[in-house]
Amino acid sequence: MNPFYDFLEQNSLYIVMIIVLLVWFGIFAFTFNLEKRVKKLEEKLNQ
Amino acid sequence: MRAFWKYLLLILMTLVILGGLIPPIVAYPKNFFEFPLIPGLEDKARIIFFHVPTAWLTVLAYLIAMFYGIRYLKKKNIYDDMKSVSAAALGLVFCILATVTGSVWAKFTWGSFWHWDPRETSIFILLLIYGAYFALRSALDSEEKRARLSAIYSIIAFLTTPFFIFIMPRLMIGLHPGSLEIDPATGQIRASANPVIKFQMAANMRVVFFLSLTAFTILYFWFWNLTHRILKLEYNSQKEI
Amino acid sequence: MKRAYYIFYKDFSSELRMRFALNALIMFVIVAVSTILFSLANEKVNQNVYAGMFWVVVFFSAMSGLSRTFVSEEERGTTLILSLIANPISIFIGKFLFNLVLLFFINTIIAFLYMILFQDFSIQNWDSFLLAFILGNIGIAGSSTIIAAIISKANVKGTLYPVLAFPVLLPLILMLIEITKSAMEGNPISDVEAELMVLISYDIIMITASVLVFDIIWRD
Repeated sequence: MNPFYDFLEQNSLYIVMIIVLLVWFGIFAFTFNLEKRVKKLEEKLNQ
Repeated sequence: MRAFWKYLLLILMTLVILGGLIPPIVAYPKNFFEFPLIPGLEDKARIIFFHVPTAWLTVLAYLIAMFYGIRYLKKKNIYDDMKSVSAAALGLVFCILATVTGSVWAKFTWGSFWHWDPRETSIFILLLIYGAYFALRSALDSEEKRARLSAIYSIIAFLTTPFFIFIMPRLMIGLHPGSLEIDPATGQIRASANPVIKFQMAANMRVVFFLSLTAFTILYFWFWNLTHRILKLEYNSQKEI
Repeated sequence: MKRAYYIFYKDFSSELRMRFALNALIMFVIVAVSTILFSLANEKVNQNVYAGMFWVVVFFSAMSGLSRTFVSEEERGTTLILSLIANPISIFIGKFLFNLVLLFFINTIIAFLYMILFQDFSIQNWDSFLLAFILGNIGIAGSSTIIAAIISKANVKGTLYPVLAFPVLLPLILMLIEITKSAMEGNPISDVEAELMVLISYDIIMITASVLVFDIIWRD
């Protein structure tokens, strides 16, 4: 754990990268879920 | 088939984030995984992968909004108007993102948050046009009037934008990179006459850059598609009531 | 074409007779110029600032005065009658001519006020300034008239007008400021050839587009 942490502390850009990656996965998951809900609603309203 | 695009997007964007942030920037890149160094920019050059696509998207969004606006004028199909608004709403979001990211970057690179550089000015004008578009829409009650008049305004506002793209090189030599020299000795900045930045990028940077454009464009179309479908659902369910 | 002239004449003569808008507009100009006079009172300001300020006052006066042609029709309820007696192109050209004449009148007043009140606002090269003045007025009138038509159908007309018109007029105003600056320095007209070309193309494009698009706006 420690050498990994030291490496991150020195090359802070990778911290940014991990954060951005997490944000992106979060956005993707949210939108994916949203699409599922919209599709369900469309089917319900079109009967 | 639809699912393919989503997973492609997931992979592409992940690659872009990794590809944009991992490769180190060195003075003399030896292999494919190193980006060339531009003195003065160093790591900040990475913005190209994230800021330029937002600017490109906001312009694309405007074109889509105008296209569906014209379609509405021809066919009077309210769904076309919905597509137009949703395109414009997303365009506004990306315009704000482009302006803000550009401004923050400018603070660290050129000294202050805003310079009235030609390209900065034109993104600001686009922001005003989007603002005017939505102000107009909120001032109109009748659905038909709203659709019709906002489509017309989008056309008229669009006609003035070429002037900005061509006034730019005339007005001043801007700060924005018109051509990025990889040679560290030169400092020449030439304003480009095209909205698309024509510059020499290293081949590997170009790959990531175009992947980024593609990924953001797919993202935009996904959001746009969802938004206008939701608008349609809201509209239809209200009609039933 | 005749009908365009009649529409123009109707607006023109009714304005002359009652002068509602004209007086308010002239007062607006005086107030605006006075404000600038007070704020720049004893400051030593770069000459180029006056070029910008001139067109700023022109812009806001246009925003004050040019929407009347369509808004008053809506308010008085005469829109329907107007659309019955004339085809859209004539209506637009008639209103455009009225706005053009009004604009020329007001802007000449603004120009005179500036030249009298601000010593630094001195034009060395009249060719380029006059050409810019004429072409600029045509452009402002054209764009303002079509935007006035758009907002006349809306609810909150007054405040919406500058909001919509500003992005559309901005390229024109930027060019005009550049040419005015050059005229004040006395540069030959060949220096501003490019800017003048932009003015001409702006005028042609905006007026053509307005005429084509007006019909769609006007139909209720």
